[in-house]
Amino acid sequence: MAQSLLKAEHIKISFGNVHALTDVSLEIQPGEIHCLAGENGCGKSTLIKIISGVYQRDGGTIEFDGKQLDKITPIDSINLGIQVIYQDFSLFPNLTVAENLALNTEVASKKQLVSWKNVRKIAEEAVSRIHFDVDLDRKVESLTVAQKQMVAISRALMFNARLIIMDEPTTALTKKEVDALFQIILQLKQQGIAILFISHKLNEVFEISERFTIFRNGELVATGNTKELDDKKFTFYMTGREFADSKFTPKKLSDAPVMELKDLTLNGSFEQVSFSLRGGEILGITGLLDSGRTELALSMFGIRPADSGQIIRGGKPVRIGNPRDAIENRIGLVPEDRLSEGLFLQRSIGDNIIISEIDRLTKGKGIYDLEKRDREIERWVKELEIKTGNPDNPVTTLSGGNQQRIVLAKWLACNLDVLILNGPTVGVDIGSKHDIHTILQKLANEGLGVIIISDDLPEVIGNCSRVLVIKSGRIVAEYSSEEVDEKKIIDAMM
Amino acid sequence: MDKKVKRLLHSNEPYIFLIILVFGIAVQIKSGQFFTGNNIVDLLSALIVPGLFAIGEFLALIAGGIDVSFPALASLAAYATTKLLLDMDYEGNVVAAFAIAILIGAVFGAVNGFFIGYLNLNAMIVTLGTSSIFQGIMQGTLRAQQLSAIPPGMKNFGTTAFIVAQNRQSGITSVLPYTFLILGAVFLIIAFMLRYTIFGRGIYALGGNPISAHAAGFHVKRTKFLMYIIIGVIASMSGICRVCMMQQMHPTNMLGMEMNIIAGVVLGGVALTGGAGTMIGCMLGTFLIVMVQNSMILLGIPTTWSNVFVGLVIVAGVAISAYQSNRSAKQAGRHAKEAA
Amino acid sequence: MKKKVLAGLLSAGMVLSLLAGCAAAPGGAAPAPAAAEAEAPAGDDTAEAPATGGAGSIDDALKAAADAQWEIAVVPKDSTNPWFVRMKAGVDEIVEDTGVNAYQVDTGTIDATHQAQQVEDLIAQGVDAICVVPVDIESMDTVLKKAKDAGIVVVTHEGADLKNVDYDIEAFSNEGYGAFIMDNLAEAMGEEGLYTTMVASLTNGSHNEWADAGVAHQKEKYPNMTLLEENPRVESDDNGDVAYNVAKELIKTYPDLKGIMGTSSFDAPGVARAIEELGLKDKFFTSGTGMPADNAELLKSGTVKSLTLWDPAIAGKAMVAFAAKLLAGQEISEPLDLGQEGYDAMTLRDGSSTVFEGEGWVVIDADNVDSFGF
Repeated sequence: MAQSLLKAEHIKISFGNVHALTDVSLEIQPGEIHCLAGENGCGKSTLIKIISGVYQRDGGTIEFDGKQLDKITPIDSINLGIQVIYQDFSLFPNLTVAENLALNTEVASKKQLVSWKNVRKIAEEAVSRIHFDVDLDRKVESLTVAQKQMVAISRALMFNARLIIMDEPTTALTKKEVDALFQIILQLKQQGIAILFISHKLNEVFEISERFTIFRNGELVATGNTKELDDKKFTFYMTGREFADSKFTPKKLSDAPVMELKDLTLNGSFEQVSFSLRGGEILGITGLLDSGRTELALSMFGIRPADSGQIIRGGKPVRIGNPRDAIENRIGLVPEDRLSEGLFLQRSIGDNIIISEIDRLTKGKGIYDLEKRDREIERWVKELEIKTGNPDNPVTTLSGGNQQRIVLAKWLACNLDVLILNGPTVGVDIGSKHDIHTILQKLANEGLGVIIISDDLPEVIGNCSRVLVIKSGRIVAEYSSEEVDEKKIIDAMM
Repeated sequence: MDKKVKRLLHSNEPYIFLIILVFGIAVQIKSGQFFTGNNIVDLLSALIVPGLFAIGEFLALIAGGIDVSFPALASLAAYATTKLLLDMDYEGNVVAAFAIAILIGAVFGAVNGFFIGYLNLNAMIVTLGTSSIFQGIMQGTLRAQQLSAIPPGMKNFGTTAFIVAQNRQSGITSVLPYTFLILGAVFLIIAFMLRYTIFGRGIYALGGNPISAHAAGFHVKRTKFLMYIIIGVIASMSGICRVCMMQQMHPTNMLGMEMNIIAGVVLGGVALTGGAGTMIGCMLGTFLIVMVQNSMILLGIPTTWSNVFVGLVIVAGVAISAYQSNRSAKQAGRHAKEAA
Repeated sequence: MKKKVLAGLLSAGMVLSLLAGCAAAPGGAAPAPAAAEAEAPAGDDTAEAPATGGAGSIDDALKAAADAQWEIAVVPKDSTNPWFVRMKAGVDEIVEDTGVNAYQVDTGTIDATHQAQQVEDLIAQGVDAICVVPVDIESMDTVLKKAKDAGIVVVTHEGADLKNVDYDIEAFSNEGYGAFIMDNLAEAMGEEGLYTTMVASLTNGSHNEWADAGVAHQKEKYPNMTLLEENPRVESDDNGDVAYNVAKELIKTYPDLKGIMGTSSFDAPGVARAIEELGLKDKFFTSGTGMPADNAELLKSGTVKSLTLWDPAIAGKAMVAFAAKLLAGQEISEPLDLGQEGYDAMTLRDGSSTVFEGEGWVVIDADNVDSFGF
């Protein structure tokens, strides 16, 4: 094998008493696509920050291009040809694409004046390397996430990059956009640039990478060729646990539907959506990013009330004009972006749990009953196995999986009949994802009607007793859990 | 070309301009006095001081900060300068006044800049504090009183006509003093600075994403520091212009202007969150407020209601520009989708 | 008018200060009559007063005060402010003329707490009378209660709302002063033509009373003058620049307008600047409250014919004389004569038993403008 591009061995770092990395190694060959995986908090980001010179390691060796590196500063790292594309892309939303691309070069040139001609030239050169077709005069804030990512990649390429590190680059992308990104990554590979691709999505790891490395709790657990990896091993390496493959089968279906939709329409988003949901079943709704699936969730919960059609609860049509109506009708929604929509991030875990039932925690006459509150909080923390030392801590102290449990707890505290979840495990690591699925199945078995809206097909297939596919605002297919498979769904979706 | 037109329609300025035009026509219909030389000159002359302040505020807002200390800074710099020249019995021209005031303004601007830039404190809190300090120095240390006579050089500068408009029927003459050229010059210099210097682009970059600005190699702290010095300089020049035009120095009558200046700048499409906005928009927004304030009588709005009316125009203006930017954001989203 | 629209957005914290003393005095003076406690006529508690009681003349009272060397202290708002420097001159003058034991305290800058402290000190020293121009009505009232309890005579000026005083004297009634401004404007306008009125704000108590009184006086006495009905009152925000811009707008809108009656000390000077710029000297007129030194040039150039004011020196003398009269145990009745110009036939304000109003206004014109020293 040729000489490695990057060889980091036995890297250690601790912050105070916390050993963030106890012993990790990572080796990347020139021009290879390498995937680094691991659950949240496993030390992926810490290692990247060491490689890019943000943190200094406490022990271990790093070689780049065969040269030993003692201390790495951010500038060193850039000069070596290491570029990191973080999830926020580090772009200037208020400036044009051209300026975003050229600014670093212009500043570095130590000139005092800006030559707009030069800016354009630099920018054109930059986008041409990945054949990225974009209006250079557009402001970055008006671009899609995928386009912003392209800008960030173009910018990274300007520094004679030899290794581009992408930190979870697919999180906010649609399927199509992910494919486009993978094309670019392959192009870069052809130009001899190595890519370190950070992800915990197994299908992506299989699709794009040649080799992989997996960390867990600050230690290296596995590295090798992706070909030798399979689902089970991947999950095991990531979590240290083995999960049995199981499809969900409803145990206690109610006779009458708990909720029915009749020709529900929201102009411009979805049309004439009809289905019925029975207590005890988990209904999956899947579709592409702009298929109307999110709007459907919002309409059922009254955030964007439907223009026509009916929502029927217990045999009677009900009007759901706002979230209050929905809650009164015992319908709950776990939103897509739990961080901005589902949680009060600065407030305590406890407050977040009881917020939707706060009306009931009174001694009467609107006086807050603190004892009742504490009992409720305690109950849900236990029930959902939320890992926290103290429910008075702010929600931000929890991991993604635990935050999602808080959102669930918040709704379960309201004694719902119908719970709608939009992308329930986006950004949640595999272990927590599995736990959340277990909770949902348990809830369904207790008689709750659950709707999972998701484009994570294994999630939909593994958990739902029925799957509806929505395309351009219309339900185009329905499968029972026996007949469903990924291929059928994808064919219907596209 | 088509792209350019589209972009223009997505920006705020044409709409503010339209509001100004509609308002002007309304005043014209009601009084027949809007599109007259006199009135235009009056409005431009009333724009000078707020306009200069607005440019300073614009800089602060673009960089993601804010400045509420400029009226106090301007009063202090102008007072100290005028008082000094009076005590010296200075007979020369206005250049000395500007030079001294700029020096004072730079020093006090540097105080703001030091706290906001180097110590990274919240700009609103810092400038609220320095505003009190500047007033304290003026009233406590300098024991400021109204100065009813000002040095002859300043007086000449403030009253000599750059443009005179005469109404043929009534014979009244409105004067646009040379101070207007100061506004023009500052506008052009700052516009050039923001567009064509690395420092100026740094101010925009800072307002867009301070962390990335640092990563891109800008000296974030130094940029902020220098910028607040520039704001101090502009404010002090504005103070001198005011004294020259009023032909007297009143230490408190500029205080309290900050709210309307900020309103005008925001009206012009400058984001309070930083990074977004243009000089033209900033000037149009400020002009709109000056115009509304100085047209209440022409419009025949009873004095009792004029505050309500000015407030309504501000709220309506801000609402329109917010609606507009919302709409263009949505459109941009749609274009983006199509492109994807 | 501009400030208020948005002022609420940021708290009043930054609109910290009004300039001390003189600038604020004309504008802030004399609020609506207070329902002052009906109090027994003073003199009762000046037990040590000699037997000069009864309805004696002011000269007798001053003589008695000089003989007894009763200590009369005058506490101004801000002794460094030219307005109160002028008041001190008045106090010194009456001391020189009559030999009474009176003096003005050196208060330093305007500060309500500091002023209250100084009054407390005077109480402790056991002075016989305290004359105060209060900075803050409420805090001063509590301190003055102690003074009264200690048997000290209390006379105030520009403190009509104070309760714990023997008497408060005001230079004039709002009606009288408004009429006086109108007389000056009418004279400048040749008693004919269209005019309007300007106040700091429509909510300012005294300004609007002056303006109302001015208009009433015009209707009664100057039939050839007419009030601009479409816009009978405009605001200057206590700001010369606003007054200037508003005047320009008025002149543009109403070509027939010939005069503006000002009330705040910024009104007439601001209007005058518009008159100068527009070339309307001798065609457009204004009058109103104004400080002599600030407006000397305008008066001398003839842009403004006359301004109106009251003289703090005389007010100072009147306070001292009133204190002497009370100490001497003389009977207080209307019309009250304090032996000072404009303060020689004072009457009680309607509904009040403690506030005496005089006719202590003065005209400032090109001839006397330099004689005031402030």
